[in-house]
Amino acid sequence: MRPRPLPLWRHEIRRAGWTALLTPPLVVGTVVVVAALNVGEAGDLTTARALFAALEMAAPLAAGIGAASLIGRDPVTELLATMPTGYRSILLRRLGVTVGWTALVAVLLAGSLLATGWWARWPYNHGAVIGQLTWIAPTLGLAALGFLAGAVLRGPAAAGGLVGAFWIFQQIFAGPAQEQRWSRLLYLFVTTRGAVPADWTANRLTLIGTAGVLGVLAWLLLGRTERLLRAVAE
Amino acid sequence: MIAAARYELVMMLRRRSMWIVNGAIVLLLVLISVGQLRDVFHDRDAQLAMARAAFLIQLVLPIGYGCLLADRLIRDARLGVAPLLDATPAPAAGRLAGKYLGVCAAAAVPLAVVYFGFAALYAATAGRPVALAWAAAAFAVVIAPAVLFVGAFALAVPLVVPAPLFRVLFVGYWFWGNLISPAAMPTTAQSVLEPVGGYPIQELLGWHGDGAFNPAGPVPGASLNFLRPVASPATAWLSIAVLLAVAVLVLAGAQAFRARTTR
Repeated sequence: MRPRPLPLWRHEIRRAGWTALLTPPLVVGTVVVVAALNVGEAGDLTTARALFAALEMAAPLAAGIGAASLIGRDPVTELLATMPTGYRSILLRRLGVTVGWTALVAVLLAGSLLATGWWARWPYNHGAVIGQLTWIAPTLGLAALGFLAGAVLRGPAAAGGLVGAFWIFQQIFAGPAQEQRWSRLLYLFVTTRGAVPADWTANRLTLIGTAGVLGVLAWLLLGRTERLLRAVAE
Repeated sequence: MIAAARYELVMMLRRRSMWIVNGAIVLLLVLISVGQLRDVFHDRDAQLAMARAAFLIQLVLPIGYGCLLADRLIRDARLGVAPLLDATPAPAAGRLAGKYLGVCAAAAVPLAVVYFGFAALYAATAGRPVALAWAAAAFAVVIAPAVLFVGAFALAVPLVVPAPLFRVLFVGYWFWGNLISPAAMPTTAQSVLEPVGGYPIQELLGWHGDGAFNPAGPVPGASLNFLRPVASPATAWLSIAVLLAVAVLVLAGAQAFRARTTR
């Protein structure tokens, strides 16, 4: 008998726990609050950039480290591996919960920015619909990187460290990343820190495509369940 | 305490993922900042070259060890060995101190390999063996205080918030508290509370930054300038002392929290 989908997803949301549910709104909310507190001192452009940074920087970081934390936390992986549903399907559902929840938080913020007019104040907003790629592309990119890192390293600590380091690299070396086309196409923060607006759409599509490739690699790797039995429990 | 420190050190050093993460970060650092590294190599002043290399390492590598250390203390409870350890005659404070020193020492080993490896390469190619002495000084006053500061938070904070949330907050903090210009928003960057170590890099190692950027000191028009006294050797030592004092306070808080929750 196939399990009914609704209780299954409800279970996965509960299994994700309040960590996964709290992290995206907390991180995105912190950036929004800092931008709001600074609104008197900073100009409209600076505030609009900070609000877009909440979408393009904070939400992907939460999704990336969340995805990196999915593997290595089950106390009875052996038991899960014996279920008719493969363990990687369970992990994929949890990835869906993590990314989906982050997406919901990002949609709410984007909707608020559109409703309050702050969206239009950032000159590189790319419109209300296509502009949603501002957060969709880096969120998928970092989440796929985190999921793959988790599959390779089999532990949240190391995988989270890699995602965090990659995010920081993109922040520190924003200048050098603009010098080559290939690095511009893989740059996460092109809406808020990009130097070549014409590359925007290509960059977003490249990130989504890369996320797909990384996701497939993770899926293939997770098929070897015996590797996961030696995962580093946290 | 010594036994706990030794055990944690060996356990961390045997953790393959620690070497993989540090290796991946160093590889990315070399690939992305090849221009800056070339400039460091061509700097004929060994002291400045080592200061700049320390600054470059301090920007990124703490993310790796900060995230890796975040599961060390909570791990005892997850594995169910915390009550067993609490039942041993070893005092809890001593075990915590040993664990802290052990994991910090383990975090410092890959940094030492990378940094002294770079210094040896520089010393050999530039014919300046004194670079190794400057590297030792930079390691002691810049890299080691940062390891102790980050290590204390990485051990203690996951007692209160879950480790994945700590990692997200830590990465965000590292960007906000070290890398954002103080002119842009209130931040602890370039202050005595900055774990990257702007004050010791500038005042004890003599690197005053590139162009308009200064690693330490007051920034005209910036908020929180009371945390940025005029840079001098005294304020550099003050910065190191403040970082270490905060680390001790955080550890004391962790010990008090554990004592309350295990009572």
